[in-house]
Amino acid sequence: MQDKIELRKISHHFDTTAEQIILFRDLALEIKTGEIISIVGPSGAGKSSLLSIAAGLEKPANGSVHFNIDGSEVDELALRANSGFIFQQFHLMPELDALSNLALPLRLKGNRNAFNIAAAWLEKVGLQDRAKHRPHQLSGGEQQRIAIARAFVSEPRFIFADEPTGNLDMKTSENVAGLMFDFARDSGCGLVIVTHSMRLAMLADKSLQLSDRKLEAIK
Amino acid sequence: MTPFSLILENVRHDLRASDGKLAIMTQAALIFFLLTLSLSSASVQQYLAKNLLQMLGSDLVIEQHGTLTAEQEAKIRAAAPKVSKTELVGITLTHGPNWERVQLKQVDDAYPLQGTLMVGSSPAAEKTPAAKGPGIGEIWLGPRLATKLEASVGDQISLAGTAHTVTAILFHEPDRIMEGHSVAYRAMIKAGSAAPDAFDTSGRRQRFLIEADTEARTSLEAWTKENLPAATLIKKQGGRHPLAGFWKRTENFLGLASVILFFMAAVAMDMTNRRWLVQMRYRLSLYSSFGISSSTVLTMAGLQWFIGFMLSLGVAGIFTVAAHYFIVGELQAFFPGIEGGWSGDAVAKTVMLTFGLLLALQVPALIQLKRASILDLIRSAPEGAYTWLRLLWGLIAVSGLAAAYSDNLLLTGLMLGAIGMALVLMIFLTWATVAVGDKWGAGRAGFVPFAFFFMRQRLFAKSAQVLGLGLCALLLLFTLMLMRDLSGMMESYARHHDGNLLVSEAQSDQMADIEAWAKKTGSDFKQLRPFVSAKLIRVNELALADYMKKPSDTLSTLKRPIRLSWSEQMPTNNTLSGGTWWPSDTRDWQQISTEPEVMTDLGLSYGDTLTYQINGRSYSFTLVASHSYKPGGGSITFWFQVPTAARAQIEADTRFMGSMELPETAWSELAALWQQHPTLSLVSLRELTERLDNMLGLVIKLTSGYAAMVLLLAMFVLIASSKGFEADDQRKNGLLMSMGLKRGDCLKLSTYDWAITAIIAATGAVAGTWIAGQLMYEAQFGLAYKPDPLWIGGTIGLMVMAVCGVGVLTCMRSLTTSVRDLLAT
Ligand SMILES: Nc1ncnc2c1ncn2[C@@H]1O[C@H](COP(=O)(O)OP(=O)(O)O)[C@@H](O)[C@H]1O
Ligand SMILES: [Mg+2]
Repeated sequence: MQDKIELRKISHHFDTTAEQIILFRDLALEIKTGEIISIVGPSGAGKSSLLSIAAGLEKPANGSVHFNIDGSEVDELALRANSGFIFQQFHLMPELDALSNLALPLRLKGNRNAFNIAAAWLEKVGLQDRAKHRPHQLSGGEQQRIAIARAFVSEPRFIFADEPTGNLDMKTSENVAGLMFDFARDSGCGLVIVTHSMRLAMLADKSLQLSDRKLEAIK
Repeated sequence: MTPFSLILENVRHDLRASDGKLAIMTQAALIFFLLTLSLSSASVQQYLAKNLLQMLGSDLVIEQHGTLTAEQEAKIRAAAPKVSKTELVGITLTHGPNWERVQLKQVDDAYPLQGTLMVGSSPAAEKTPAAKGPGIGEIWLGPRLATKLEASVGDQISLAGTAHTVTAILFHEPDRIMEGHSVAYRAMIKAGSAAPDAFDTSGRRQRFLIEADTEARTSLEAWTKENLPAATLIKKQGGRHPLAGFWKRTENFLGLASVILFFMAAVAMDMTNRRWLVQMRYRLSLYSSFGISSSTVLTMAGLQWFIGFMLSLGVAGIFTVAAHYFIVGELQAFFPGIEGGWSGDAVAKTVMLTFGLLLALQVPALIQLKRASILDLIRSAPEGAYTWLRLLWGLIAVSGLAAAYSDNLLLTGLMLGAIGMALVLMIFLTWATVAVGDKWGAGRAGFVPFAFFFMRQRLFAKSAQVLGLGLCALLLLFTLMLMRDLSGMMESYARHHDGNLLVSEAQSDQMADIEAWAKKTGSDFKQLRPFVSAKLIRVNELALADYMKKPSDTLSTLKRPIRLSWSEQMPTNNTLSGGTWWPSDTRDWQQISTEPEVMTDLGLSYGDTLTYQINGRSYSFTLVASHSYKPGGGSITFWFQVPTAARAQIEADTRFMGSMELPETAWSELAALWQQHPTLSLVSLRELTERLDNMLGLVIKLTSGYAAMVLLLAMFVLIASSKGFEADDQRKNGLLMSMGLKRGDCLKLSTYDWAITAIIAATGAVAGTWIAGQLMYEAQFGLAYKPDPLWIGGTIGLMVMAVCGVGVLTCMRSLTTSVRDLLAT
């Protein structure tokens, strides 16, 4: 049975002292493993919030979220244990070298083979000769390649990427996005990617646009 | 690969960063200091307890200055089955050209009652027990004395005209405890071995060692209190060591010192924590983005902290061992035979308390870490809301633990009160300054208004910084001031004398010989004042011990007989500082004048009645005036002076004190004078200053060690505070520069910012110090509180400069990095 995240009739808003910022209303979304979904939309539309709700980091103001893993409904903590993240700011540990950064999730989960697996993944992203380099010695594109490998290395069911190419130039973006899509297809996980780039969005299996508090399919 | 190896790796990475190092160093410094303190103090207490049990030499000791009457002595002997009478007297022993001031003990056949004498044939020889003291015509010398006099067993020493043979080197007397922390040279003869009137001096003491059952002890105790008010009585069971009072005062100071260090360390820890927290939060959010549960993540953070603590403990432990043995070595001079043992209790208590303190400081951080979330990595995390909670919690935790650690609740309370008031003042000042400054600057252009504007934006962060620095400055200032005043007080004992030889005591019949000797050798008398030996026993009909409960130097001096002098007119080296001096030919002899310090320390006022015991009789005087020392006209001055008319009423021998100027050739003639009059007490000033210097040296060594510790922690606070705010500074500078400000302008802005911070902190520190001084000086240390505005101003100036200097340096560094940062993105 396929693992699945279901958002039903969710609404979300932020209350500030001056006004209420309404992000979206009565929105539905289904995310399955083996599928790549892209979300586009103007800045401030609520894409990051939607991603956080889907990943179980935040609760929506209204509506319900359901996580199905291995045929049974689980809570957000169980989902978290089975998901990975890719961030706009890369967020590599500055004090660790490339290989250690990659090995980190495995070591945290007590994998005794962490460094060997990490070394293999480093080769997959073509950075085997930069293993001993620390993040500040790497370019943005190289850092993001490591961050992507890091998200995939512990084989999660879902991966959430918030504008992963937002800090990169066009050419690097395509290279990085290509890697991400290849890995997702190889591993069969579900990938949700929030992006500004229409071109990138169109490469996904399914593309959605968040604007005017609504989510519409554009592909 | 397990998470544990990862924790170790994290610790290693953190240690490589300056924050981690700083945190460990602060912790280690605190643990080191507290451990050393409690170990040394446990050693002293252990020593005192053991000393009392083993070294009293009897069940009960009664000691009296002067001599007891035959009836009094008979009463004591009748009350107990076994009594040994010893007499102690300060004399000068001569051997060839060498001479030395010596504490001579004359013992009877019953001596020693309990315990054994240890003797040998040379200072380096093996110690063997002796059942009895020396026989007639024999003298035993202490090992240091024998060396000093270059005398060995078999040599002859003349004592008041009677020849004595050195028959042994005296290593140990079982009633040693009675000497307290005296390091005087010691010798022993048989009572009656020299002419009985050879040792007539005011410094003479009689000591009765008594072996008795409980009943006899109780009745003797009551009898002594009634009939010998000037006597000291020490008992083995349930008794207090004679040094306990002295040590209590020292402990008061040490207790306060630890409380101060607790706070210093807390401030430094809080400041390093701020940054550690940001880093930990980031690390933990990332870990949870890998799907690790938050409880695992928190356990990791807790373990990591614990490893850091153990590391600090290890580092501190090594230093403690060294410091402990060093301090015990230094204390040998005061507590002969003290041992540098390891008191498990003291170590455990201190380690537990520091652990508790550091953990308590960590609690708010752990709570914040619990809130770390992946969301922080998507959007930037909010900060600041918990700052106040954290500060408040820190303050409460530290106060509670400080109170638990220190035995002196009152002192701790006073210090905490002063700190609290200073903190409130600083918070108020920060807010007021910033609010007023911002209002004032609202319609103005320029850097100062802009600086205020910025401070207002960062009011919370700013307040935390001001409070930290202010608290640190307060503690530093107070400590330095207290130490300066304590050592100043000691130094003031060393008054400037004129003449090079002090006649500290001469009897009337010796005066003729001294004068003849002076004439012969061409020496000059500079000053000569008469006195009788008197012991203050009652104030306003209350026994001195009941009247004065808190320890002070004055009180400990007054426990021994003092010198009471008389004079018609105000002596030339005194001035009147209060009350009225008697007219020159007054007949009302029951009047007395004292020094203002004595009045303050004892809480006396004019009209009080002081009762003295002089040569076994009581005499009362009414306090009418106070006099203080005035330089010029000689150095000899007395604490207590009465009208000349009183002399006729007092039945006691007149003694003299004075100073002489000896030509270089006269020094070698001194031995002849002493051979004639061994009790004649002459002190060469070289020797006097040497003794004081030794004493001062120890005090200065100990206090400078402490000052170094406080300064070290203050430095940690300063570094932590500037580092903690470096990120803020960098962001601000980057922003300002992107808006077209020049680097010099940024620097100027930062300087104003730091100067305002430092000045507010300094004001709080001065106010806090003043409050603390008012509250504590008199009550706890027996010192008059007279702050020196120049000194405080100077110290504060230095602190403000140091803070600004470090602040500006950090800013300059952050300026260069922010330029690079701007290029990088
Ligand atoms: N904690 C918050 N409090 C108030 N408003 C918020 C908060 N987080 C986000 N917002 C607002 O919600 C809106 C959507 O934010 P976000 O989901 O980050 O949008 P996007 O990722 O599409 O740019 C923005 O206008 C933002 O200002
Ligand atoms: Mg966003």
